[in-house]
Amino acid sequence: MAEPTQLDRTYHYVLSTMVERGQAPHYTEIAKEFLVSPDEGKAMLHELMAAGLPNWLHPGTDLIGSIAPFNNLPTHYRVSVDGEQKWFAQCGLEAKAISALFPGKTVRVDAPCLASGADLTFAMRDGEIESATPAGIHFYVNLPVKKWYGDLPFA
Amino acid sequence: MNLFRSKEDILDWSGFEAGTEDGILTLAQAAVILSTPRHAGRMREDYVSTLPDFLEPFIDRLMEVTGNSPYWDPRP
Repeated sequence: MAEPTQLDRTYHYVLSTMVERGQAPHYTEIAKEFLVSPDEGKAMLHELMAAGLPNWLHPGTDLIGSIAPFNNLPTHYRVSVDGEQKWFAQCGLEAKAISALFPGKTVRVDAPCLASGADLTFAMRDGEIESATPAGIHFYVNLPVKKWYGDLPFA
Repeated sequence: MNLFRSKEDILDWSGFEAGTEDGILTLAQAAVILSTPRHAGRMREDYVSTLPDFLEPFIDRLMEVTGNSPYWDPRP
């Protein structure tokens, strides 16, 4: 493993906090974690958000809106681990990446079908699909991948 | 980036755009795309630093699953 940089450490702290409690940390918590001033913690947060990852701040604020695969604002992708629902997926695609963050545990995603309103549920463990109801669940994105980074929250 | 009960539901959806059929994947295909270290390795302590190393395997997987669809090709 490469020697982690501060950017690695900031990312790891933010994502680990999200995994642990279902909510992203505020920049003052980042500051506390790394024993720096609140302004330096804010700078660390902005450096992370500028790193080109699928993460973003809520517009006009210093609050984390999303850190893939999670969303810090509730979405229609409700995520439960060991029966406890306290996370939300960033989108229907990233919902499949969440099980990798909870090794050995069943991660369940509940969502509505946007066309029919029907309830959709699937469960994954260690990256493998354990079950899906109904069986024909499909994913759709109406924007080619090349355009995703032009408007990530939209995509 | 949303989930639907079936492919037919997507084609009937008010937000579906003609010509974007390649944007439809099965649940299993989507899960396979996200199984490379680019997505599965996020808890690595050096994740951000090593992310460039994960790009090629991810693109390979993306192209393999989508049958080399230009719709899914992130390369310029």
